[in-house]
Amino acid sequence: MELRRLTKDGVLTAVALAIFTVELQLPELAPVPGVKPGLANIVTLVTAFTLGPWDALAVLIARIVLGGLIAGNPAAILYSLCGGLAAYLVTVLMRRLVTEKQIWVASVFAAIGHNAGQIAAALAVTGTPSLLYYLPVLAVSGVITGAFTGFAGQFAVRRLGKALRK
Amino acid sequence: MRRGPRRAFPALSLALSLLLTALSGCSAAPAQTATIFAMDTVMELTAYGERRCVDEAVSAVYEAEDRFSVTDPDSDVARLNASGGGAVSGDTQALLERALELCALTDGALDITVYPLVRAWGFTTGQYRVPGGGELAGLLEKTGYDRVRLEDGTVSLPEGSLLDLGAVAKGWTADCIAGIWREAGVKSGLINLGGNVMTVGAKPDGSDWTVGIRDPFSQELMGAVRVRDAAVVTSGGYQRYFEEDGVRYCHIIDPKTGRPADSGLASVTVTGAEGVLCDGLSTAVYVLGLEGAKALWRENGGFELVLVTEERKVYITEGLEGVFTPEGSYQSTEIKVIRRG
Amino acid sequence: MAKTRTWVILIVVILLLSGAASVFLYAPRSPAGGVARIYVDGELVRSVDLSALSGEERFTVETEGGVNVILAEAGRIRVESADCPDQVCVRRGWLSSSPAPIVCLPHRLVIRLDGGGAAVDTEVG
Repeated sequence: MELRRLTKDGVLTAVALAIFTVELQLPELAPVPGVKPGLANIVTLVTAFTLGPWDALAVLIARIVLGGLIAGNPAAILYSLCGGLAAYLVTVLMRRLVTEKQIWVASVFAAIGHNAGQIAAALAVTGTPSLLYYLPVLAVSGVITGAFTGFAGQFAVRRLGKALRK
Repeated sequence: MRRGPRRAFPALSLALSLLLTALSGCSAAPAQTATIFAMDTVMELTAYGERRCVDEAVSAVYEAEDRFSVTDPDSDVARLNASGGGAVSGDTQALLERALELCALTDGALDITVYPLVRAWGFTTGQYRVPGGGELAGLLEKTGYDRVRLEDGTVSLPEGSLLDLGAVAKGWTADCIAGIWREAGVKSGLINLGGNVMTVGAKPDGSDWTVGIRDPFSQELMGAVRVRDAAVVTSGGYQRYFEEDGVRYCHIIDPKTGRPADSGLASVTVTGAEGVLCDGLSTAVYVLGLEGAKALWRENGGFELVLVTEERKVYITEGLEGVFTPEGSYQSTEIKVIRRG
Repeated sequence: MAKTRTWVILIVVILLLSGAASVFLYAPRSPAGGVARIYVDGELVRSVDLSALSGEERFTVETEGGVNVILAEAGRIRVESADCPDQVCVRRGWLSSSPAPIVCLPHRLVIRLDGGGAAVDTEVG
């Protein structure tokens, strides 16, 4: 059973990395750093809602660390981690509050959490309080991108949930 | 099937160890900064890394000043000027070689022997004056980078010729510092040697550095370029000039005429990976003017240009499309793109 | 489990609130903030919180090279007069949002603005 689980986590990590790598190639949407679709979050969402929080955490961290190395930008790992972990915590919390048809709602709040986490990291590193100005903009972008990735994740859970939970 | 924390232990420990690995890198390194006065300007160094990185950079600046200063009688350059040549080594030899290549590349629009002319106009002392035609003709006889000989580490200057590496020394120094930092593992650093900018890596958050370009006609910005691992250098007559009888004389001397450059360009910004190239070419392109700049850019690689003409027209080379953004009043200006074809 | 409609209403409220806040924050700021720090020979000699100023504040900084008279107002600062030979610091005018400091080379004086919401990291020219 451990092997089955390891395999599933590995496959999900690979999928997340593939999505992440594709997303790297997309042009930036807005001149504000941090405004991006966060498509790889779909995998975190699917993992959390099918396999549970621990698998989701493992997949998330493996994706961020390996993704940072692939992107050739280990410095960005810290930001991704803070954002990713914040989104993860929100997802785990929301998991108890939403139905399978409301996964997208969890995703919206997770995306807002992701952006808040990234700003917190940037605040800690640069000590620039004016970064807080970005928070409302990133909340708006979080709602939009979170809803998008959320519906994608919800669809994936509906289609793949059974297979993944086996 | 419930999966309790106990089962999750392997996954969690893997996650934690990866987390620690990520945090132990210098991703969260604090900014180390230094402000120093050297080479007749103020310099600012910022490195996200260890303190010694900045300290070594400061030493490198002072070392470069000791070697390349034209006014310090103990410098390598002053020594060559005093004795009409001599042996050179190390950085001085390397920079001289590179500078002479750039002089040749620009067909003398950059010339490291214009010092006697710069001095005649008073730009070295602040005692500005307009030299007479006869005086300029006499001084032009003594200039010409092509008469400088550099063979096997020995320089020989013709009688009356004086070297001045001021147009390339800061760019070279920026390259040196960037090299030191990269070797020390600095992933993010910003070097501003009095308007001669070099960026190392990207910003700590992983995004590009944004380097503003001053408007030659005001104190505002005319635009900005977003770069990483690149130098950005601007030259313009507005930086230093004097006026006499209503005529403005700028500090960049055209080596062909011996008079301040008057090419129709108000400012030239060069960006590329090599600081010394950008530094030298910014001066040369200012002298060459718009058409000369287009030709030079089409024939050579390794740099991109932002040109502002005296009529406030803006030209960029095609590599800067999407990299350059206009600011302030220039947002309503048409940006013309210079293409290879 | 809450009804989907409840979630949608909550999300729309968040969207409206943060949207309004974004518009407000990105609208042209009138009294820009930031702390002006004045250095002589690399040593911090004085800082002025420009966002806390309501009127004018004028003071002199004496250096080995000479004297600079500095004028600070809400959101901006300049060298009003100086006895340096080149007057570059005076001609530079107001500093309000630029990362490029005001520099008086002969006096080794630098005025830098921190946290002024600058759009660029550094400047050339």
